[in-house]
Amino acid sequence: MSLPEAYQLEIQALNKQVLQTCPSDILQFCADFFNSRLATERAASISLFRDRGTPSPRFPPSPTSHHFGMMSSQFSSPFGANANPFGGSSSNANPFGGSASPMSSSVMHRVVEEDENDHLAPGASMFSGAFGGDASTEAPPTLRAPPTADSYPAQYNFSRRTSVSAESLKPSADSYDNWTPPFTEKTPEQVERLKCAIEGNFLFSHLDDEQSAQILGALVEKPIPARGIKVISQGDAGDYFYVVERGSFDVYVNDCGFIEPGPDGLGNKVGTIQAGGSFGELALMYNAPRAATIISAEGSCTLWALDRVTFRRILMESTFARRRMYENFLEEVPILSSLTPYERSKISDALETQKFAPGDVIIHEGDPGHSFYLLESGEAAAYKGEEKVLSYKKGDFFGELALLNDAPRAASVIATSDVKVATLGKNAFQRLLGPVEGLLRRTRYQGVKTGVEEMDPLHTE
Amino acid sequence: MAATVAETQPATPALSAGMASSHQLHQAGNAPKPLQLTRTFKLADFTRVRTLGTGTFARVCLVRPASATVPLEEDKNAEVYALKILKKTEVIKLKQIDHVRHERAVLADVAGHPFITNLQASFSDRDCLYLVLDYVPGGELFSYLRKYRRFDEQVARFYAAEIVLVLEYLHEKQGGVAYRDLKPENLLLDRDGHIKLADFGFAKRLGYKDDRPVETYTLCGTPEYLAPEVIHNKGHTTAVDWWALGILIYEFLTGYPPFWHQNPIEIYKQIVEKPVVFPQEPHISDEAKDIIKSFCTLDRSRRLGNISGGAGRVKAHPFFHGVNWEDLLSRRQPGPIIPPIRYPGDAQCFDMYPEDDGKGDVYTAELANKYDQYFEDF
Repeated sequence: MSLPEAYQLEIQALNKQVLQTCPSDILQFCADFFNSRLATERAASISLFRDRGTPSPRFPPSPTSHHFGMMSSQFSSPFGANANPFGGSSSNANPFGGSASPMSSSVMHRVVEEDENDHLAPGASMFSGAFGGDASTEAPPTLRAPPTADSYPAQYNFSRRTSVSAESLKPSADSYDNWTPPFTEKTPEQVERLKCAIEGNFLFSHLDDEQSAQILGALVEKPIPARGIKVISQGDAGDYFYVVERGSFDVYVNDCGFIEPGPDGLGNKVGTIQAGGSFGELALMYNAPRAATIISAEGSCTLWALDRVTFRRILMESTFARRRMYENFLEEVPILSSLTPYERSKISDALETQKFAPGDVIIHEGDPGHSFYLLESGEAAAYKGEEKVLSYKKGDFFGELALLNDAPRAASVIATSDVKVATLGKNAFQRLLGPVEGLLRRTRYQGVKTGVEEMDPLHTE
Repeated sequence: MAATVAETQPATPALSAGMASSHQLHQAGNAPKPLQLTRTFKLADFTRVRTLGTGTFARVCLVRPASATVPLEEDKNAEVYALKILKKTEVIKLKQIDHVRHERAVLADVAGHPFITNLQASFSDRDCLYLVLDYVPGGELFSYLRKYRRFDEQVARFYAAEIVLVLEYLHEKQGGVAYRDLKPENLLLDRDGHIKLADFGFAKRLGYKDDRPVETYTLCGTPEYLAPEVIHNKGHTTAVDWWALGILIYEFLTGYPPFWHQNPIEIYKQIVEKPVVFPQEPHISDEAKDIIKSFCTLDRSRRLGNISGGAGRVKAHPFFHGVNWEDLLSRRQPGPIIPPIRYPGDAQCFDMYPEDDGKGDVYTAELANKYDQYFEDF
């Protein structure tokens, strides 16, 4: 393929400039030259667009062939195909931000410190900072720069973005295999330390107790007996996330994105991870090349490892099971019997879990009703005044007439054990499915055998 | 709304006289004979012109029938296609078997929609899977967006509105097809400047179990555009596309997405922890801010598009005030940008890519024995 004409014209112009000015810093000069060319060219094309843009912006109907030549060169992404215009930030960028602190604390740090408009240098290929953990809580100062005059962040990587995908996962209920998460015995102290190590991590912070327990159980001990062992190698496929139990690990990044042969092949040391720290969390999302090399820095280290499929499967199985449980519960609620399966599925999607300890009041007699409840686990009882009128067990529901009106609760509901309920407010219900009147009265409400609404003023039968 | 960005006159052909669009040719009845779906194809039926795009395990090439003799740039009635080539070994290695099967199935179901790349046929040989698609010559909206840095609100509205129609079709009229990879890179412009949604590599018809739609769990998409429920593996539905549309409108209007960082993990933290914030410059209207925030809502029981009314509610949002949805769907007006296309097989609107070097792992007989059953639909 011969060089495009438009390119040759640009190079000729650049040559001319170089000859005229004899710049000392050639690279900077060329960069400036092209930046100014780009700015001019953009300004021209935007005004062209604006002029023609209203009411009907369009390109010239019959551009000259020269113009076409320009076009095609412009259309190649302004920064060259998939090139990173911002100077190999994948390499400069220290994915560990020099922070050697354990992951959880640095994560907390970041949340506090980071400004919302923080134009922290991106600009690397998508795998560059692909390393989780303490990664890039701070980018090197060279990459931090104010947005350009027109608020166009100069560091954003404007090249095409690559799609990512994890292996496809199907709930075992669909495939009829009985999957139980792997389990490795740990001492209570170990469990506590692991909990601490992962609790601040955004991939774990939203988990419920059961999911957390399963994840903690699934972590596998991985002894690293000697100094100098590569736990992960930059550029390799990533399948595991690691928590450091004992010892410390050095982090190396090679600018080229992988380990090169030779004594300096690992690149620069950019940090150290101590006990309580963790690394490699991106591997829990999908398989991306590792962004750094991690090597044991002392003898007899210990790691805990968690692989992506186990992690994702634990979350999926529990979510899937809970969703189906909700849908089954919802089917039993007479007031919701006229909903389509699709509508029930949307409701299950929006149900929120709440927990109560024994003796906690879930519903107060006399309060206006705004939400309804499904009893997911545990037991509860309804009291009218001092008198116990009903008992609830798993799968029972109460308060559902709140979806129809705001009438005062006809009874109190009190947890008699540790109780988990799934709850949905009338507002959320209406947002999802529209006005309740039409929906819930599609079929005549036939009364409730178990609900406090037996005593509901609305309920006349 | 079409009236605000396009003329009320019928579209003047963007090209010189004699250069009728394939659209017009079809209407005139002297179109190049379209490929018959019943025919079986092989790679030798096509000549490759050049590569139009590459992905991790696929490559899209501009092709023409091997029998064509007229030089492409002189062929005013050229029969051209975009051939998507997927290497079986790569598909298996990257664990994308399910995704390519979904892609083939969904594309067949949605063929013919005005804003979706049209599947003509599919076939396979020993090493590869092939999808024969109509060639969309205007290139990626991505290229135009980067070139102009950002779009005026009315331009953004035009494209966003066409995407709303596509999502309405996929989610509601097709019965629960999630697209899952909305971004400017996957939007092509046809010769009249209308959107064609391309790359259905992650599109999936949500399953049903005992009559209930079932959410899906496989993480896929593009980092900047992932919805929070995908990052948290909570199970996701078509609601992810509405989230992505919010991100897309933001990127149209500002030139960059609301959540970005060189380290993908930092992007994901922002997505699940931070609200969308708007820059002071350029000015973004309140309607635009509101629709972006309504799409990019963590709580799916509040996310526009997913709440009651579905796409209808989206169309009624003030941001789309004045859009004539019927006119839009019938493509009555040309789009705001008319791509510079010189002849039907012109590929100048696409970036250049290195051509296939022919390298790659061999698809062995052993692999074929194990996996060919999954590729039978092609």
